Amino acid sequence: MGKKELKVAFLLALRSLQRGNRSSVLLIILIIALVFTNMIYMPALLSGIGQSITRQVVDYEVSNVLVSPKSGEQYISDLDATLDLINGMPGVERASPHYSKGATLKFRQRILGVSVRAINPQDEKYVSPLYTKMVAGSYLGEDDTGEVIIGSPSAGSSSIREEDEFQPSLGGVRVGDSITIEYGNGYAKDYRVKGIFTTGWTPVDSAVYITWTDMEQVVGKKLDEAEYITVKSRPGYSESFIKNELLQYGVTEKVQTTKDLLSKSLGRALQSFAIINTVTLIVSLIIAVVVLFIVIMIKILNNRRQIGILKAIGVDKEVIMHSYGIQVIILAVLGIGLGIIMTQILVVYMSYNPIVTPEWSASLYVTPFDLAFNSVILFIAALAAGYIPAWRVSREDIQKAMRA
Amino acid sequence: MGSVDVKALDGVTLDIAKGEFLGIMGPSGSGKTTLLHMLGLLDTPTSGKITIDGTDVGKLTDYERTMFRLYKLGYVFQDYALVPELTVMENVSLPAMLREDRTEEQYRTASHDILQKIGLCDRRDHLPGELSGGQQQRVSLARAMVNKPDILFADEPCANLDTENSRMVLDLFREINEQMRQTIVMVSHEDWHKDYFHRIIRLRDGKIVSDGINGKTSH
Repeated sequence: MGKKELKVAFLLALRSLQRGNRSSVLLIILIIALVFTNMIYMPALLSGIGQSITRQVVDYEVSNVLVSPKSGEQYISDLDATLDLINGMPGVERASPHYSKGATLKFRQRILGVSVRAINPQDEKYVSPLYTKMVAGSYLGEDDTGEVIIGSPSAGSSSIREEDEFQPSLGGVRVGDSITIEYGNGYAKDYRVKGIFTTGWTPVDSAVYITWTDMEQVVGKKLDEAEYITVKSRPGYSESFIKNELLQYGVTEKVQTTKDLLSKSLGRALQSFAIINTVTLIVSLIIAVVVLFIVIMIKILNNRRQIGILKAIGVDKEVIMHSYGIQVIILAVLGIGLGIIMTQILVVYMSYNPIVTPEWSASLYVTPFDLAFNSVILFIAALAAGYIPAWRVSREDIQKAMRA
Repeated sequence: MGSVDVKALDGVTLDIAKGEFLGIMGPSGSGKTTLLHMLGLLDTPTSGKITIDGTDVGKLTDYERTMFRLYKLGYVFQDYALVPELTVMENVSLPAMLREDRTEEQYRTASHDILQKIGLCDRRDHLPGELSGGQQQRVSLARAMVNKPDILFADEPCANLDTENSRMVLDLFREINEQMRQTIVMVSHEDWHKDYFHRIIRLRDGKIVSDGINGKTSH
């Protein structure tokens, strides 16, 4: 098709959209936009859930690299030397040791079984944003003794009756209250609640944090061992680089990156998400193709006589076909553009109003690649849906078309 | 019940001379439009041959027929058949825009000139829906004439017009025929239209029943 034919096809397409039935044009654009939003929404939500879980696991459980005891051992021994070794390596921001014990909390008439986690508050600040999640009181200080910070679900609320609680709590502990912690080894001590936090990550929100010094009192000795060490990398250093470095420089414990851990724990969930995403994509595309095919077919059938007339006066069938094709291209571009705007509005809305569950809170996670990929797929589908009826009708006999 | 073969045209033979204003007349169902469509390459005869300007049009491919219609033929239809979304100027320019031998300036000038000739230049930016039936048919005539076709075909161009508008349109056809020596083949069933034709072919049941020079015209 030559330049002149293309120009005429473009003129016919443009004028049909400009001066034809405006509500029909707007409806088609809206349909394409909604199909695009539908294609993006579910996969983006599932990606958001995956991202949320990943972020929380990184923030509150493993940071970038997790060092845990070698097989057959319960604790990482020679902790001070191990920490010095890890902290001295290039690319390591900070290593933070963790040690936990099962315990029972007592406050007034309430009893609650929890995990008490010991941390070095300053080290933990480098690897976890826990210190930023205080909703009352303040975070632990390095030299604090006899003080705890507690997750708000465990602290509970005095306004909710025990039988109405979603999960067991201490029934409304407030900053400054004194709670008793009885450990499995028989050690018991009263602690002052220094702060209450909410992270949205259930295992952390159900726990109580004390300082390393306090835990040494619990175990009755200097604590030169840890259950695990979380390692934060400096910007620009990859997790695998840190892992290889640790192994090379003589860390004999088990070393795993976040990716290693997530591929095991979240691998199957992410696979399931991928299946749901594929099904959503296929269903959305089928809807788009069918709707656009019907809409364009109706439009073309209504214009059969005009198509016949155009052919009669010497307009080639290719020009007629492309005039409808160009209409679909314009509609698809506008629809996809509107779809991108709608998706971005949803992304912004859900970043302020995430879906919150006890396990995770998720907003939409959309990458430029997602937008580009879905745009191209929908564009191709729209093109096929528009061109097929145009191709069929443009080849119809002039007499038949003119009698329509 | 078996199907019954009906011959829309049966043994029709005729020659049309350059510059002739030919009227095809006859009762409804006599084959007038079928003959016009075959001469105008909009339909194909089951047998027989049509030669226009030395070209056996039956041997042309689909694309060649389209190009033949574009370069050599012009059409005016009963219901004007303008593209409703295009302005008067765009409708008239449309066939000229597709011609390889016309520049943009040339087809704009040609469209402007023909619109001026039919007296609708001041309405060039209007849409067909904003014009009367007579005006739309004049635009349709301008579109047919913009490429200066060898033959202008008109299929009952006044069927949807009142007498006054019909006369205006027919006067325009006559003017074009006389001034530009334009060959015109027009189908009509209105008896008073014969005053405009040089020659009249009358059909009945697909056969030519009379073919003669119109005595009332002065050619």
